[in-house]
Amino acid sequence: MRRLIGHLFWAAVSVGAAFFLAGIALERGEPVNSMWLVLAATCTYLVGYRFYAKFIAAKVMVLNNDRATPAERLRNGHDYEPTNKWILFGHHFAAIAGPGPLVGPTLAAQFGYLPGTLWLIIGAVLGGAVQDFVILFCSMRRDGKTLGQMAREEIGKTGGIAALLTVLFIMIILLAVVALVVVNALKGSPWGTFTIAATMPIAIFMGLYLRYWRPGKVLEVSLIGFALVVLSIFGGQRVAESPALAPWFTLGGMSLAVAVIIYGFFASALPVWLLLAPRDYLSTFVKLGVVLMLGVGILFVRPELQLPAFTRFTDGTGPIFAGKIFPFCFITIACGAISGFHSLISSGTTPKMIAKEWHAWPVGYGSMLLESFVGIMAMIAACVLQPGVYFAVNSPAGIVGTTPEAATATITSWGFPVTVGEMEQLARDVGEHTLFYRTGGAPSLALGMAHIFATGAGGRAIVGFWYHFAIMFEALFILTIIDAGTRVGRFMLQDLLGHLHKSLGRTSWMPGVIGASAVVVLAWGYFLIQGVRDPLGGINSLWPLFGIANQLLAAIALCVATTILIKMHRARYMWITCLPLAWLVVVTFTAGWQKIFSPEPRVGFLAQADHLESALRSGQIAAAKVAESQALIFNARLDAAVCGIFLFLVALILADSIRVWAGILRGTREAKVTEAPFVPSRLRPEEI
Amino acid sequence: MSLLKRASFLLWELLQELSDESAYRRHLAYHGRRHSPEEWRRFSDQRLQAKYVRPKCC
Repeated sequence: MRRLIGHLFWAAVSVGAAFFLAGIALERGEPVNSMWLVLAATCTYLVGYRFYAKFIAAKVMVLNNDRATPAERLRNGHDYEPTNKWILFGHHFAAIAGPGPLVGPTLAAQFGYLPGTLWLIIGAVLGGAVQDFVILFCSMRRDGKTLGQMAREEIGKTGGIAALLTVLFIMIILLAVVALVVVNALKGSPWGTFTIAATMPIAIFMGLYLRYWRPGKVLEVSLIGFALVVLSIFGGQRVAESPALAPWFTLGGMSLAVAVIIYGFFASALPVWLLLAPRDYLSTFVKLGVVLMLGVGILFVRPELQLPAFTRFTDGTGPIFAGKIFPFCFITIACGAISGFHSLISSGTTPKMIAKEWHAWPVGYGSMLLESFVGIMAMIAACVLQPGVYFAVNSPAGIVGTTPEAATATITSWGFPVTVGEMEQLARDVGEHTLFYRTGGAPSLALGMAHIFATGAGGRAIVGFWYHFAIMFEALFILTIIDAGTRVGRFMLQDLLGHLHKSLGRTSWMPGVIGASAVVVLAWGYFLIQGVRDPLGGINSLWPLFGIANQLLAAIALCVATTILIKMHRARYMWITCLPLAWLVVVTFTAGWQKIFSPEPRVGFLAQADHLESALRSGQIAAAKVAESQALIFNARLDAAVCGIFLFLVALILADSIRVWAGILRGTREAKVTEAPFVPSRLRPEEI
Repeated sequence: MSLLKRASFLLWELLQELSDESAYRRHLAYHGRRHSPEEWRRFSDQRLQAKYVRPKCC
């Protein structure tokens, strides 16, 4: 009887998935309620989790709870520790969830709600969650080895070095693009700038509290820190209203970029306990809390989507970023659908904490589904805005016109009516001077979140608080990524420099620390300033570059996973990893090729450089703008070169992997499995 | 009710894990030491050093 009920339940969920997906895909001409997206995603995730992931776990990876995991065998009270699966699920989710699944879907909403939503759901079920799950399994069977180590051991030295270089380059682009999101969110906003600036002394206070006053009381100090951050949001409002203080915190893009660069340098060189760690604790709790709040808010408010299923910009003429729906929708949404960065987390701390092999199923596959759901919530938050408002906030002046009148006229002519009065009223409601040209995704996401939160609690009277709460939430963990990323980049660089001179590799040698930090900060800072100067808003060139890089890293992870499956004599199941791999290779190489060679200047970097150069030669550019144009030409060519390097590195790993696969399948190469030997598990249920 | 209790317990444990407080308790138990400001600083330095050599996810 129980079995029958189970069958009926799963049949209902499967029918529900098909019904709700068909509903959002076929509905035209009338507003769609956000619950359709929530239900379509939830039912599809459940089916994917119950059937596809379980099939992979049972038939492909043959998970075995009788086999001791590294957490049990190498238990040391530190990083190797058997952990309850639901606690580890939350821990892993907190580690993989960053700004990517929030910003990517917000930007991709320029195509309408449907393409991004379908990609988030299908991409996660068949690609992203599979990647996370399989890499977690591979690392768990190898005592928690990193992706780089596995690439070196399973594919070869070339693969290992290429993976390391790819990670370093991606980090530089990632840091630049997330810093640009913060800069664009805080540009001309004294309220936001004050709030974010206040988080720095708050984090230092937390660091000192934890180090000297109440050692070990992390939860206690995080609660105090959160209260202070909320107070700083109210303080920000007072600052914005004060004629004396507001000018101090009203900064332009370039000043903010320089401030973030200086901050990044000091944060990476300062002792980690002073600023980075307390901010990280705080941002993790705020992140989880806000994600939960947004989920509850959407379920409670059930807002209607204002953006259509498809917009006219599927043809590649979008104002937020240029390029057709294929491949650019799939590049813009990386995190939330499939993100290569997750493979670094799945081969990091998590495999060392898994108590039983079957726990990898909810932890690896399940937490990626939750991240995908965060992406769906971000898509909903962006799509509840009036389309005209959404485009007015996200479009750069270089596309829609340099005055509010010109911008609203352009956007209205696209069929998305909006007036200067509406935008001014909205800006007043959220305590901003203007909401035009706020590219980067963060302000429009904050507007959508504020709309949902304010509808649920407080109404229009406190929409300004919710807007700045959302901005604070986004900026808080982006700055944590900048701190930590610069630090990691510094370690990687020092590791490489250590081969040239021993002392350069010592992480305790101050000149080495300062020099390496400066190099890493200048590297991402260069791209950040390039983004700030870009008349198209920076996001147009940097976000696709980041998306391509992130998904190329996923391609590397899937190459490693496929190699391991073949070596495990599971070649008949290699389609599980080859399917997303093939898709990623097609998407990223098409996008990469178009970003380099497209004849359309808004898409192709080289065409953009040529276009500017010919304008310069023919004297169409004013004398005052010559130096700026020359810098733009150089930057476009640099971006083309960076994109080319990414593609080359991944092509190298792909070719190397195919060589290994062919050798094993033809029988000319040994299929040596490098996993740790079987040791029976003695872990008692009460221990986990 | 017991489900709610269990969920609250798991949430509390998750917060403790994310805040490294659980890891600190394990550290004390594993090494047979007692809590002190110096011990926390020793643990925290080791823990954070290992934690921040890995990139944070985007």
